[in-house]
Amino acid sequence: MEQNKKMCLALFSGALDKLTAAGVILSGAAADDMDIDVYILLQAARAFKKEIASNKDEIKLAENSHLREEFIDSLKKLNVKEWQDFFKEVKEITNAKFHICGLAGKIWGGETLEDFIDISDDIVGISEYITAAQEADIHLFI
Amino acid sequence: MTKEELQALAVTKSVDARGTACPGPLLEAKKAIGTINSGDIIEILSADEGTKKDIPKWANKKGHEFLGIVEEPGYYKIYMKKN
Repeated sequence: MEQNKKMCLALFSGALDKLTAAGVILSGAAADDMDIDVYILLQAARAFKKEIASNKDEIKLAENSHLREEFIDSLKKLNVKEWQDFFKEVKEITNAKFHICGLAGKIWGGETLEDFIDISDDIVGISEYITAAQEADIHLFI
Repeated sequence: MTKEELQALAVTKSVDARGTACPGPLLEAKKAIGTINSGDIIEILSADEGTKKDIPKWANKKGHEFLGIVEEPGYYKIYMKKN
């Protein structure tokens, strides 16, 4: 049987617009039956902390920050999922793993996996990311 | 296939994804096609313009047979046969 293609995403941003973009891209990869490894780096690790992820006011826009409410309203009108729901659905459809960067976690006070939202699979070092990036058919940085 | 031929197809499953924007219709198609048998025909209803190109490309890549699109006022019906 043919092996699934692999996607590696280095997710640096913790901004709502970029997290949403990541959700859309990962959804496309999931529809394509790709195996996905997402590495949750600096700002994204903060967004993945339970107390931040559950507080919508903590998640800003990367660009045009003054349009945040308009952006959120448009997503709702278009029935677009929230970023965490995108990631959850991707995990339901395909083999997708969300790896928290150990350093990034510590920077924001996250020492154990329990400090991060439930879709997080493990806490890893940089070597895992480099290996996944080397083996991936598609490698992205957001 | 002509519009008449497409509309006469015996559809096994119809998915109404008109309430969602990209990537909603694609994911609905992906999930639904997993529930039907090889040779069955699926119909996806989408009001998202990008879906017209997105689903045929995806279907061909996954080995399903894209049969055609019927345009209705404000939405599209996309037909494909599962491989």
